[in-house]
Order: sequence, then structure tokens, then C-alpha cells
Amino acid sequence: MKIIKMGMPVFLVVLSIVFLLGTYNLPKAKLGNPDAPLYFPMGVSVLLLVFSVIYLFQELRRAHEDNEQIREMLSGRTPLLIGATIALGIGYALIFETVGFLFSTILFLGALLFIVNGRRKWITNIIVTITFSFVSWYAFSELLGVSLP
Amino acid sequence: MKKIWLLAASALALAACSEEASGEGETFPTEPIEIVAPASPGGGWDLTARSLQKVLEDNELVEEDITVTNKPGGGGEVGWQYLSEQDAHTLAVNSSLLITNNLLGTSELTYEDFTPLATLATEWQSVAVPADSEIDDVEELMQKIKDDPSAVKIGVGPALGNDDHLSFVQAAREFGVDPKKLNFLVYEGGGDVLTALLGGHVDAVTTSLSEVKDQHLAGDVKIIAISSPERLPDIEDVPTYVEQGIPVEFPHWRGVMGPPDMTEEEIAYWDEKIGALVETEQWAKLLENNDWDSFYKDSAETAEFFAEQTELYEGLVEDSGLGQ
Amino acid sequence: MDAFLEGLLTSLQPINIFWIIVGGFLGTIVGMLPGLGPATAVAVLIPVTFGMDATSALILMAAIYYGAMYGGSRSSILLNTPGDGSAIAATFDGYPMAQRGLAGQAMALSAVASFIGGIIATIGFIALAAPLSSFALKFGPAEYFLLMLLTLSAIISLSVGRMVKGLIAMSLGLLLSTIGIDTQTGVYRFTFGIPHLSEGLDFLIVIIGIYAVGEVLFNYLNIDEEKKEKKKVGKIWFTKDQWKRSKWPILRSGPLGFIIGVLPGAGGSIASMLSYTTEKQISRKPDEFGKGAPEGLAAPESANNAASVGALIPLLTMGIPGSGTTAVMLGALIMLGIRPGPLLFENDPGMVWTLINSMFIGNIALIIINILLVGLLVKILDTPAKVLYPIIVMLAFIGTYTLGYSTIDFFFLLIFGYFGLLLKILDFPIAPLILAIIVGGDMEQNFRMSLAASNGGFGIFFGSTIAVVLVVLTVLSLFYPLIIKSFKKLRGAGPAAD
Repeated sequence: MKIIKMGMPVFLVVLSIVFLLGTYNLPKAKLGNPDAPLYFPMGVSVLLLVFSVIYLFQELRRAHEDNEQIREMLSGRTPLLIGATIALGIGYALIFETVGFLFSTILFLGALLFIVNGRRKWITNIIVTITFSFVSWYAFSELLGVSLP
Repeated sequence: MKKIWLLAASALALAACSEEASGEGETFPTEPIEIVAPASPGGGWDLTARSLQKVLEDNELVEEDITVTNKPGGGGEVGWQYLSEQDAHTLAVNSSLLITNNLLGTSELTYEDFTPLATLATEWQSVAVPADSEIDDVEELMQKIKDDPSAVKIGVGPALGNDDHLSFVQAAREFGVDPKKLNFLVYEGGGDVLTALLGGHVDAVTTSLSEVKDQHLAGDVKIIAISSPERLPDIEDVPTYVEQGIPVEFPHWRGVMGPPDMTEEEIAYWDEKIGALVETEQWAKLLENNDWDSFYKDSAETAEFFAEQTELYEGLVEDSGLGQ
Repeated sequence: MDAFLEGLLTSLQPINIFWIIVGGFLGTIVGMLPGLGPATAVAVLIPVTFGMDATSALILMAAIYYGAMYGGSRSSILLNTPGDGSAIAATFDGYPMAQRGLAGQAMALSAVASFIGGIIATIGFIALAAPLSSFALKFGPAEYFLLMLLTLSAIISLSVGRMVKGLIAMSLGLLLSTIGIDTQTGVYRFTFGIPHLSEGLDFLIVIIGIYAVGEVLFNYLNIDEEKKEKKKVGKIWFTKDQWKRSKWPILRSGPLGFIIGVLPGAGGSIASMLSYTTEKQISRKPDEFGKGAPEGLAAPESANNAASVGALIPLLTMGIPGSGTTAVMLGALIMLGIRPGPLLFENDPGMVWTLINSMFIGNIALIIINILLVGLLVKILDTPAKVLYPIIVMLAFIGTYTLGYSTIDFFFLLIFGYFGLLLKILDFPIAPLILAIIVGGDMEQNFRMSLAASNGGFGIFFGSTIAVVLVVLTVLSLFYPLIIKSFKKLRGAGPAAD
């Protein structure tokens, strides 16, 4: 739990430092004031850094307080569901353009339903997968004219 | 990969005819034609692609079905990248971005990666000032800029490096002003440049003529120069750059091209069809609606034109300070 | 007056009524889907409008446009997943209402609020089109910057009780908005070598990621418990008390949204957020905002619909598209041989009046459509969550794909989805982040353009009456809660909105 509670402020501090360093390495503008593109991101990353440090100290003081939602996130099958959704999403992104919309969507939605809704309800899962894949394919590509792979 | 066809209502009627005809022989084209608009629907490229589709179909110039697909992204990059991997049944609409993207470092593609088929139409660039501005001609404007570049705010949009920007860079260069010193305010949104001009927030704008033409006719702004070789009907009171001693002729052209390695037969097919297209009355009407001028060049002329344009743009991008 | 009646008759022709209904229905549906907004819907219809009479085409496009405004908040209320920026404010109180079993009432209330907002704006259109378009022109870069600053500070003021987190969310949003090519100089910022990022991060991806994907991930926390308690849908029509509380907020937000809508580029997001914060600040029960206060839903709904009508003013009177959708409409109209602009009212008054009348009829048609749909839509809540969530995730992916036709965006969608989950768990307010991403880019550019215009002098931010008023409002919005607070004694932790 502490990892998540402390992880966020630490992540934000690191992120603001990365962006702050990034602003020093931005290319200079060849038009007008060469530093003009720097000021805004630099100011905002300093702001983010300051607030994140305050946040970090606030959290350090409260490090031992319990956060029910973090506990829920880490308990039961929640971590599995979150992990599976993200992993399947990555897989979907990788195959979407190569195997085409319909096939990849059937795989993605089907797998997700089997994990979230459970194997026992396989009939519902398959029906929902097939109908929604086809309906969305038809609606987007035929009716809305979106070019899907 | 599934090919998805956008069904334009008008295409439905023609679908039946083309099926009868497609059995005839092996001559190109043997499949439906796809025209890629490398932008979202509604923009200039989309309008060009759909105008092509409509005129080719309505006049029965091409027997196969024609569909338009939108592949927006990266200032044309996404759609053109797609075109470079297709066969000769796919075409794409283009404009000077095909040349400038590479010079500005946003794309690896150049016009040499494709087969130029035709240049179709052009708009002209214009310089406009507020109606109550004391500036009356482009020479006065340039002189003011020469005296103190930071004192003259010039509105442009939506991005530096486009024709609106570079045409003014060329004019400034010809007048002897260092284009890097120009005080451009870059407005991101579509009509923001015009809003800024009407509201008096800038001293002048450089934009395509169609954006300001009606405002000029209504007396809300004053156009002080156009980039065409001669004065244009409707606004005969507006002088060209050349007349005012600045040797700039700057078309904002649009054309159409095919994938690399098209055969001579395929190129000849399109030369014939597009050559016929630009002669139709319907095309003339569409040009008029869009405030475009005919700028037809066939495939050979277009290839030559692209080479000249690349050289011109190289210099302009460099002088503007955007060079890589 | 003759022109008005003639326009009324034209818009009452069966064919035009037909288009109003088709457009309104289609817009409602499209507005509900994540990522798809009115701009896409109008664009898709361009080939269809080719064969149409110009007046009918304009009526159809306008009907889709405000149809999507009605529809946009359906998914905000039911699922806490707004389809675009202008529907975000509807989640603040709409979703809590739905959670308390008032989904049907919330949707009916939002439809009525949208209707009244639309009608107020249409009347405003008739009475004030000309003076308002010249008012809009007074907004230079400095005024736009201050308007955006006002909106941001108003949103930040909602984070009372967790100010540091609100400020972090805002700075993060502003930082993310700097990704991409810098408009003023053409310099690349933080693109990390990914060419796809050169145009910046599409804020819609962040919205879909945090709200749609993040919301689903967040709901996984309780997914196995939820089954037992059957969700109540409640009555379809709102109560007298809800109406009494919403009446004045709706009537105030309509004109506010309308005026903001007239400013090119400001649009529905700013209109709805500002009306929400205004209502909260002047409310006698600010503590109920964010927990299902009916006026907290009604006000932004009225404002964003009014804004969508207002946005047509610069388009039709000056040929200036004030939003993505109106830009697409401009393109389509040009194809049809109409060039909206200063000459349109002179050359083609019949068409303008027909359009205005079609707005009245359109709003009537839309409120009927939407109230009929309430009964159907609440059924979504009957769908088992375990089936619904995978479908939402899939729709989020497709919606994202339609934005840029690139699967690179899928990764951003997942990153923001997961990040959104953490933000929700750690109790960060999300609205400041989203709003900062939406307005951040314009805010910076307008700030720099102001300084370029004044040669570096900051006086330009006090240089006009509008600017001074905006500065005063910004200061007020920041300190008003404090003033109120010191008035009434501290009453525990402040209310929250995200």
C-alpha cells in the first residue's frame, strides 16, 4: 500500500524534474526570442515540482493512514482484472492493424468478457462478443464512414 | 485486411452500371478506385477528393466505383504513407505540404516517392489590412516593416511553414526585408486570423483569398495584394504583387498523385480522364463555388512543376528561419 | 418579420422536418459514444448533403450539432464517461444523481435544461447576432488568455479541501498541453522522437482514457459486490423540488453559455464549466454540489447547448468557424456553393431565417426524442456490470482510433486509463487536469501573442474593459470561497467535484 501512496508523489516529483530538464534541452527558436518556447513549460514544471514536493511531505506525514480503496485495489481479483485489461489492451494495439478490426476486436472483447464475466457464462460472452463486434464494425465503417483496418 | 468502402449516396446508382462493364477486358482499371483525402472530412483536401469523385462519376468518365477515404494525421503524412504502399487503383490528393513537410523535417516522404498525375486547381494568396488602416498598398506595408519589423503585427495560421506564411516570406524577401525579423502572430484556429484582423488585433494578415474575399466586398477589410499573375474578376480593384513592383506569383495549388512505380499505361489513363474532367462544366462550377482557379497540368508538366516548387520552397523555408 | 414567417414555413416543410428529426436522432446517438462528437457526425454526412438542397443540408447539419449536445451528457450521467469536453460538467452532479437511483430524473432534467438553453440562445441569436459578433471581435489574445485563466481558476476553486492535489492536476494538464509543435515558433517540444506527437496529445484521448477506461478500472474494485444490490432507476420525470432548484440556474446559464459560445474558440467546455462554478458559488447549498445537486446538472446542460447555438453566430455573420464542428459545416456549405460571411444575410436571408426557425423546431424535436429515449437508456443500467465494462472499454478503443487512425494512441489510452485509476483512488480532482489540457495550449499561445503585441508590456492584460472585468472575476473566483468560508464558520471538509 505504501508503494502506491508514496509512489504517486515520487512519480510526480520525478516527472516534473524530467520535464524541467527537458526544457533546458529544447531547441532554440530561430524566430523572435530564441527562448520563447521555453518559458511556459519551464514555469509549469516548476509549479508541478513545488506542489508535488508539498504533496510528498503531506503524504509522508500520513504514511500510516489506511486507504481503503488502495486495499481494495490490491485485494481479491481486482489486480488480476486491472492487469488483464491493460495486457489485453496492449495486445489489441499490437494486432489491430495487422489482423484487421473484426478479428482483433472479437479476440479482445471475447477474452475480456471471459475474464471479467467469468467462464461459466460463456454463452452470454460469445453472443455479446459476436454481436457487438459486428454491430460496431457495421456502425463505424458503414454508417459513419470511418476507415477501419 | 478488409477494404471498407464509403458509400456515397450518388455512388449507389452507378454501382449497377459498373458491374456490367467490368468484365470487358484486362485494361486498367480492373478494380474500384480509391481516392485518399489525407485529412478529416470538411477540409480542403477532402473537398478536392470528393469533387474529383463526384465529377468523375457524374460524367461517367470512369466506369469503376470510386470511393473517398479519409486518412488524417501528420499534415498528410498518414494518408500519403498509406498511398505509397498501394497499387495503381489508389490515388491521393496533395498540395505544397507534400514538398514542405520534408523541408520542415516532419516527413521523410518527398514528391519523388510518388507518381505525379495532375495539378488541378489553385487558390491565390492575399494580404489584407483592417478597413480603416492607413496602409493602402503592399509597398507601404513593406516599407513600414522595413523601418521597424517589430511594430507591424502580421497574423497567420494555423501553422508556420504553410503557404500563407511562406508567400509573405517570399514577398518580404523580394522587398529586401529579412524574413526572420517579421513579427508573426500565429493563430491556431481556422478563422482566428480573420477574427484578429476584423477586431484590429493585428496590422495585416496573410491568408488565402477566399478567407477574406467576402469581407473585402462588404468593406470590412481591405485586401492590398493578391499573388495571382493578373487581377481577378469580382475583385478587380485589388492589384497583384507584380503590379506593385514585388515579383511574386504564388499559387496555393492542389493536385492528385498515385503510388510509386505506375506504368505508362496507367499514367496515360489518368492523363486522359483528368484531362476530360477539367473540361466539364460541373468541374468549372465546383471551382467557382470553392473560389478556386483552374490550374491544370498533366502528369509530365506536374513532375516538372514539383521540381521547380521544391527548389523555391527550399529557399523560402531556409529564409523564414524554419530550416532544419 | 416577413422573412421570419417565410423561414418558419420553409422549415416546416415535411422534408425539412424529416431532416431535423434524422439529424437530431443521429446527433444524440453519436454524442453518446466516446470520442465521436458532432464534428465527426457532420463530416460523415458531407457526401449525403452533396445531393441536397442547401437549406436542407444546413438544417440537417445544425440538427446533428445540437443533437450531439443533448446526447453528450447521457453517458456522463449514466456511466460517468463523458464523450467530449463539453459533457464533462454533466458528470459532476449527473453521475451522483444516477448513483442515488435518480438516473431517469437526471436525464429528463438535463434534456429540459438543454431545451431551455437552446431556446434562450435561439432567441438571443435573433435579437443579438449583429451586436454580439462585434463584441466577439473585441476579444484579442489578452482577453482570451484571461478568459481561460478565469475558467481554470474557477475550476481550481472547486478543489477546496484538497487544493494541493487540484493544483498538481492543473499543472500536469498544462505541462501535457505543451507537447507538440510550438505554434509561434515551429519548435518541437517533448515529442520524444515520436512523430505522432508532433501535433500534440489529443485531449479527447486523455478524456476517454481517464473517464472511460479509468472509470472501468476503478469500478473493478467493487465489481463482485455490486451484483446483489439492484440499482434503482427511479422515476422518469423530475420532481417539483428539483425543478424549483434548477429553474433559475437554467435561466442564468443559458445566456452565459450563449455569450461564451459566440466567442470563436471558447466553446462548450468553458461555457459549461463556468456556469457550473458560478452556480456553485452563488448557491445557498454549495455543499450539495458534486453530490447530486439537480441545479449542478441543469446549469451546465443549459449552458453548453446555448453555447452550441452561439457558435453559429460567428460562422453565419462573419464566416468564422468557432469550433471544430462549425469548421466542418463551413467546408460543407462551401461545397454547396454557399459562403457564410458578411454577405450571407444580404444575399440569402431566406436561408438564414429558415435555419433559425429550424433551431426552434429542432429543439422541440430533440426534447421529445430525448425524453422518449430516457426509458430506453436507463436500461443500460440494468445490463450486468461485468458485461457492460468490457463493452465500454472496447468502445473507448474504437473511439480513440477514429481520432487519429493510429494504434499508438491505444497506448496513450491505456496509460491515461491506468493513471486515471490512480488519480481516482488517491482522491485527485480530475476536472482541473482535463480542462488544463483543453485550454493549456491556447492559453500559452494567447499569452505570448499578447506580449508580442504589446512588445513585452504586461499592461495589455488591463488594457480594455473586458480584460479588467475578467481579471476581477478571476480574483473573485479564487477568493470568493474563502470569503464565504470566513462568513460561515468552517464546516468540515469542503465539497468535491471531479
